Amino acid sequence: MLLSYLKIAWKVLMRRKFFAFISLFGVSFTLMILLVVMALFDHLVGPSTPIKRVDRMLFVNTIRHQMAEGNGWMNMPASIHFVDDYVRKLKTPEKVGIITASSNATAFTKSKLLPLDLSYTDGDFWQIMDFDFLGGRAFTSTEVQAAQHVCVLNEATARGYFGTTDVVGRTIEIDLKRYRVAGVVRNVSAGHLYAYADVWVPYTLSPQYYKDNRIEGEFLVVMLAPSAAAVPAVREEYRQMMRRVEIPNPKDVKALFSYADPMLAGFTRELLNYQDRTVDNDNITSFYLVVGGLALLFMLLPALNLVNLNVTRILERSGEIGVRKAFGATGRDLVGQFLVENVVLALVGGLLGLGLAAGALALLNQAHTVAYAHFALSWRVFGWGMVLTLLFGLMSGVYPAWKMSRLNPVVALRGR
Amino acid sequence: MIRHLFTLMWNRKRANGLLLLEIVLAFVVLFAVGSVAVYNWTNYRAPLGFTYEQVWEVDMSPGNQPRREQFATLQRVLQRVRSMPGVVGVARHSENTPFSFNDSSTEFQVKDGTDKLKVGAEFYHVGPELRDVMSLRLVAGRWFDRRDEAAGRRKPVVITELMQASLFPKGRASAVGQTLVDNDQDAYEVVGIISSYRAQGELAEPYPAVLAYVGPQDSAHAWTSPMVRVQPGSGAALEKRLGEEIRAVSGGWVSSVTSLPDQRLTQLKFRLTPPAIMAVICVFLLVNVALGLFGVLWLNINQRRGELGVRRAMGAPAGAISWQVVGELLVLTTFGLLLGLLLAVQFPLLGVFDVAPGVYGLAMLLATGILYVLAIGCAFYPSRLAAAIQPAVALREE
Repeated sequence: MLLSYLKIAWKVLMRRKFFAFISLFGVSFTLMILLVVMALFDHLVGPSTPIKRVDRMLFVNTIRHQMAEGNGWMNMPASIHFVDDYVRKLKTPEKVGIITASSNATAFTKSKLLPLDLSYTDGDFWQIMDFDFLGGRAFTSTEVQAAQHVCVLNEATARGYFGTTDVVGRTIEIDLKRYRVAGVVRNVSAGHLYAYADVWVPYTLSPQYYKDNRIEGEFLVVMLAPSAAAVPAVREEYRQMMRRVEIPNPKDVKALFSYADPMLAGFTRELLNYQDRTVDNDNITSFYLVVGGLALLFMLLPALNLVNLNVTRILERSGEIGVRKAFGATGRDLVGQFLVENVVLALVGGLLGLGLAAGALALLNQAHTVAYAHFALSWRVFGWGMVLTLLFGLMSGVYPAWKMSRLNPVVALRGR
Repeated sequence: MIRHLFTLMWNRKRANGLLLLEIVLAFVVLFAVGSVAVYNWTNYRAPLGFTYEQVWEVDMSPGNQPRREQFATLQRVLQRVRSMPGVVGVARHSENTPFSFNDSSTEFQVKDGTDKLKVGAEFYHVGPELRDVMSLRLVAGRWFDRRDEAAGRRKPVVITELMQASLFPKGRASAVGQTLVDNDQDAYEVVGIISSYRAQGELAEPYPAVLAYVGPQDSAHAWTSPMVRVQPGSGAALEKRLGEEIRAVSGGWVSSVTSLPDQRLTQLKFRLTPPAIMAVICVFLLVNVALGLFGVLWLNINQRRGELGVRRAMGAPAGAISWQVVGELLVLTTFGLLLGLLLAVQFPLLGVFDVAPGVYGLAMLLATGILYVLAIGCAFYPSRLAAAIQPAVALREE
């Protein structure tokens, strides 16, 4: 039964090449655009080197200071005091690492000036992230505590400065300070905000490494939960911890708010912050609603286009429909057949769209829009693409199918 | 004739309803993208107020030199850079340099003004050499000069024409000679007005600007990013020498040089990427709609051969048949437009985004025009097809 439907679907598709082209064009480009967007999104928040265990990670971007006397808000990352005396004392996380957002630094080679992005990290950071080491190793907590001048370079920097990646143990001079190279890692995409840099050095060398009791600093906190299931427990313990944090300057700062969030929730909390900022809401539901709504709206126009075309094409097939009805096919049979046809069309378009998306991503990669980023279609994105394709096929098939099933067989047979 | 068209279309209201919905959606998409395009275009057209060719921005960082030695070093560095061959002029500038992504805005109001109007403005700290370095155009009053060095005066500032217009919306008084105060009650004296200084770049909405004077002995502002005008044709050689000289004379300051044309391109690229993506998606959607409309019309003509054949047999000329097909689509488009405009007009009425209503108006016009062109383009071939129907053939088929 299904096989004959598929055969008919193929015949109908091939009968009029021009209309097949219009339909496939609409379906494949719509899906291409959605797939590219999803691949970018996946690159940003999905698991990929070095953030492989993203489902077990929690991030603290910022500590919101509610200032006294209605002086507004100040949002800053955490200080070492905050990390050491509060976050590291939590019981549920397996590991707590820190990293700064990358800052500009310069290294001079003999012939040119090498602009670099430099980040400060600690030893645990390297155990939470899974970097691909080309040579050497990460620096350890002991080296960090001793404030040794060691560094980890990415491949591009090693090549730019030394001309080779086999540089473990050699010395690099950055901003007039000399560092011993402990290891070289594969380039990390600038899209991985919590891991990206060209050069990583111990945080104890940072000019922002203050030893007083201030809360605001420059350190992003990354926590690793023992398992994905333990993530809510870590979040909850962090929440409890925030209630205990002592405000060093209560005259200026009324209250502190900070949350440990999974990657995406951390972004949406900042992005969609339209309500009272003292309310703990990571806005992830509204994010999915908004994004889902936008995607549907975007698919609506091509789907409507296909509906119009299909409705008009029903009359072309009135003879076939009339015969089937006259021989006892029910309306439901016809709806089923037409839906199958449309879903097949959508699937063919979906596959084309997948190919187009791969091409578009290759173009994006070549244009180096984001430093060292390599966007790719993952199985996750592929799966979502198929779901969207089915949705699209149903969206554009239901109404014409219903219309077709209601055709009066007598009229249909007489018509042509 | 038109009434007849309406009757014809009313008879097929179900099918036409879906087409109508498609046209409304297409209009909304066009309107959205058109608004973004018009907004960026109007901003782009407004004069920048300065020239950026042959101007470089030097970013310097004092490293770990002790604070108290830094100002003396800065003066040594500036003096050395000024004397370098190939350098035409050097002006100190606060960190919100042209085409950088830094901005710093403050609210000002006229002291003892009658309006007590608070005006937000971009606030720059610049050295007196900036007028020559960036070819600023003075329209009233004077530019900074030696008189401003005298200590104890209110801080002299130069404002832009847009700032003048915002401070005195009725245009009665000139701001020159007036005193402005900011939210901290610091007072500034307006000494002159320049045409414009849109350091935020061409695509940023024109915004009032205030430029405050930084004298040679001012150790509080405009430290790290002097603007340097170089001779035409200067390139990497001078860039490298600048870095070396700064390093040598300062004893280890690190500097980097960005040319403003490069910086401008970077910023344009960054600002144009989202609209460009929107435009690509919009074009795709339109092509889709156009192909769809074309296909539907073509099929319709094929199904209405009998009707059109009868009209031909009764003596209707070919032109009348073409006109009927085009006319039907135009009527449908007009309905879609009216519905779409009803939606679009909410934007300026409700003031959803803080954008001048003129931008929306122009975007509506643009979307309307494109939609009509699209409709006529789609109907053209099917209408020729309809006109070419031979009544004898069409009626025999029936």
